[in-house]
Amino acid sequence: MAVVFGTLGFRPRSLIPTIKSMPDVEKLVFYCGADKSDPEAVKKVADAKRSVLEYCSSMKIAVDPVDLEDPFDFKSIAMRIRTDIRRHRREGKEIGVFNIAGGTKPTSSAALLVCILEGVPTVYIHDLTYEEIHLPLLRMEYNQVLSEEERQILGFLLKNRTKEFTEVELAKALGKHKATINHHLRNLVAKGALRLEKHPKDARKKVVRVEDSTELLLGEEH
Amino acid sequence: MRTLVSTYGPEDTEKVLLAMRTVPYDRLVLLGEDGAMESEGSRTIQRLEEVSGHELVYETIPDKDFLGMVDMISEVLSSNAARSGGGSGSKVVLNISGGSKLLGDAALLAAFRLGVETIHCDSKATRLPVVRGATAKSMYTPLQTRFLECIEDRPVLGMAITRMQPTSKQGAERVLRELRKVGLVTSEVVGERIHIGLSEEGTDVLRAVKMCKRRE
Repeated sequence: MAVVFGTLGFRPRSLIPTIKSMPDVEKLVFYCGADKSDPEAVKKVADAKRSVLEYCSSMKIAVDPVDLEDPFDFKSIAMRIRTDIRRHRREGKEIGVFNIAGGTKPTSSAALLVCILEGVPTVYIHDLTYEEIHLPLLRMEYNQVLSEEERQILGFLLKNRTKEFTEVELAKALGKHKATINHHLRNLVAKGALRLEKHPKDARKKVVRVEDSTELLLGEEH
Repeated sequence: MRTLVSTYGPEDTEKVLLAMRTVPYDRLVLLGEDGAMESEGSRTIQRLEEVSGHELVYETIPDKDFLGMVDMISEVLSSNAARSGGGSGSKVVLNISGGSKLLGDAALLAAFRLGVETIHCDSKATRLPVVRGATAKSMYTPLQTRFLECIEDRPVLGMAITRMQPTSKQGAERVLRELRKVGLVTSEVVGERIHIGLSEEGTDVLRAVKMCKRRE
């Protein structure tokens, strides 16, 4: 039994073929939302959502519709989807496939990003033929790209993101030698996970800042 | 030279302008479908680039097959990285918020393949977690990628192992087991011989690895 994930816009037909083509679908989780300042878009999304709910009800498939507060907020959508996928996996569910054809552009791209990070099979539905197109599964397993020490530093900085750390303070907090921390920080800056900014009061020092994207990179556990 | 590459559609001028404000660059490359560059918005961007003395380049990406689009965008990113003079790709930034959903998603996959810094600009700019310099190639060992290259034409098992020399038979078989375990390699009995080849996923991985090698 598998869980199908999807994004939904105006057209239920961009999502339903995936439920039909997947054997033993236990549940559908789909993300939808419209520009609230556009009543026509809001109505179209509501109609599409109703159609999908009716279809699932008829087919006796459990369904979990997720109304996105802001379907244009890329980061929050990606975080929400990643959290949901990990939760389902923790519960022992198999993620069958993620259909990213519907919804706003940020919703679709955020879903694709999470599929790459989590290694979830991904499909599109062709706009005209409604044929399923399977996307290449390119999982970027960042455990291989980030060392254990680098992950530890990023995790610590994310947990303490309200505080400011210089290199020396960070070394002290993590119980590491300053030169070791300096080496890891240089690598993390080169990888685009961190940046070093001038200290507001002491130009000789640098403050370590974690990039917004690092939160997406490491996921909700941080 | 710093290059900003952005997907573009006629209605996405504001998103591209936000990317232009967010990222420091010397050269702007817009990726779009046929006709996208004839719009009023694109003329506005062109005027702005002329005033600032920046170079503006249009690249047409036909909205046909998804993987073809990923390859074309990968080529654009690779050639611009080479032109920028940096091997690590640190001087090319990609914005994926313009154009069709298909175009944006193809661009995102290309960015992950090549480890290109990527942003998404809508009402605000969001940096995406594409680790700079971490490419599809870096996900596999040199022996694994060499093995994938050796079996592209579905040779018999013995031939594949011979092609892997000077790697030992045991070494080549170990790599085969590793790749089979992750689903990149398939085997098929034809007559009395075992032919091995790439699975669909293996084909995609090899395609991505070749693209990364060309970029290097």
